[in-house]
Amino acid sequence: MSNLEQYFSTDWSSMTGQDWAGLIITVLVFFGMLITFWLTLRPSKRKELEEEKYKILKDD
Amino acid sequence: MDTTAKPQYDNGVVQYLTVGAVAFLVLGTFMGTFAAAQLAWPALNFDIAEITFARLRVMHTNTVIFAFGGMTLMATAFYTVQRTNGVKLWSNKMAWWTAILFTIGLLAVVVTISLGMTTGKEYHEQEWPLAIAIAIVWTLYTFNFVMTIASRNKETHPNVYVSNWFFLGMMIAITYLYVVNGLAIPVSLFRSYSMFAGVQDAMIQWWWGHNAVGFFLTAGFLAIMYYFVPKQAQRPIYSYRLSVIHFWALMFGYVWLGAHHLQYTALPDWTGSLGAVISLAMIIPSWGGALNGMLTLSGAWDRLRTDYILRFLIISLAFYAMSTFEGPVMASKTVNALSHYTDWTVGHVHSGALGWVAMVSIGAIYHMVMKLWNTEMYSMKLINFHFWLATIGTVFYIVAMWVSGIMQGLMWRAYDEYGTLAYTFAESVAAMHPYYAMRALGGLLFFSGAAIMLYNVVMTIRTANAKATSQAEAHA
Repeated sequence: MSNLEQYFSTDWSSMTGQDWAGLIITVLVFFGMLITFWLTLRPSKRKELEEEKYKILKDD
Repeated sequence: MDTTAKPQYDNGVVQYLTVGAVAFLVLGTFMGTFAAAQLAWPALNFDIAEITFARLRVMHTNTVIFAFGGMTLMATAFYTVQRTNGVKLWSNKMAWWTAILFTIGLLAVVVTISLGMTTGKEYHEQEWPLAIAIAIVWTLYTFNFVMTIASRNKETHPNVYVSNWFFLGMMIAITYLYVVNGLAIPVSLFRSYSMFAGVQDAMIQWWWGHNAVGFFLTAGFLAIMYYFVPKQAQRPIYSYRLSVIHFWALMFGYVWLGAHHLQYTALPDWTGSLGAVISLAMIIPSWGGALNGMLTLSGAWDRLRTDYILRFLIISLAFYAMSTFEGPVMASKTVNALSHYTDWTVGHVHSGALGWVAMVSIGAIYHMVMKLWNTEMYSMKLINFHFWLATIGTVFYIVAMWVSGIMQGLMWRAYDEYGTLAYTFAESVAAMHPYYAMRALGGLLFFSGAAIMLYNVVMTIRTANAKATSQAEAHA
């Protein structure tokens, strides 16, 4: 096993319930951030989102 | 129905919380300055147990974080949620109960700590009856905020402005963090023991401890920034889309950081590495948020010459950017090996607490005072004087702690040619004295600014009330 393979190797059989919970949450958060970037930064949403910022200037 | 009429909001409770926040700022910074002076000149504890450094320091942190910070968050949340959603508070009566119970609870916390009743858990020193009371009050605050948003007119206000998201994120996160870290077994009315043991207790403690910074002192005050910077500058926030990214990155990322407080301890090594890596990753959204606030002034930087309130808000963002860069650097294992347990940490905390949290709060409070009492400030010159006292005081404080902290770390790790420690601990303490004196001076300057602010706010309110009374008499 090369050094790189050794570094990234995982003993899946020794994963506890907490380890799996942590792993799943981490992966979900990663995809959550990707979805957030896509929903927020796509050009078609630009006008709609940026219009929101003008509303508070006349709220009182 | 007259649709052009100025909207009516529940301002009474916001006025109470605003003045309360200023009063607690004065009290909390006085305690901090006194505690700093005790470190430089220990005789100042006068052998009175209730005001010795060990208790006074915790009284100070509870007063500035929870009393001043908490009241500022309540005042600004109740102020902004009404205006951004075009509706009165869902329950004004509940808001008043929240404000009054929070005041009583916080005063009880300070008194019980001075009497030596503490859990010993950082930023969670309140013993179990007071912790339960605070959790209930916090839930009332959150419930009222959520219901106010829910009761808005969805035709005129289909979307919820981003400051509300930050407030809501802060409220939800603080509720579960505070409750989980507070789980304890009471053995008497004012004594309890944590339900967690050993390293798990440390991990849970710093999961709460750092997220008290991340959510209470960051997300909540970013909500303030996203509302009050555009309002004071009379310009929209630079990028609404960046604010959305900032929010979600903060919500997803911040909760992982706590373990960086426990580098080189009994925790598994990977947890500290995770804390350090995510800390470094958080520089990106933090700087994105800071730039978003500062670039709001693009093309109108000259406003800073004349608008002293805006100065507070913008310099707070400079300190926010600085401390959110410094924190991740200190979280990395190499730097942490030097900085941990030293005054550098104290300096870092205060560049965030004084430079970011207090400054953005002060700017928001001045803004609200003028709007709530429908008047100009009693003295704009005093605001300018306050600004310089606060800025110079903060710089004095953090520079003193940087120098003393790095010196401490270097002295503790210095070895002589025989491999023994080059300095005793007492020698490192003696070397700190000039910097402790300088820190006390910085604190004194900041406290003086807070006292001037209280005077200015009280005089503004008195002048506004006198004017309103004379106008009412003229109409009668």
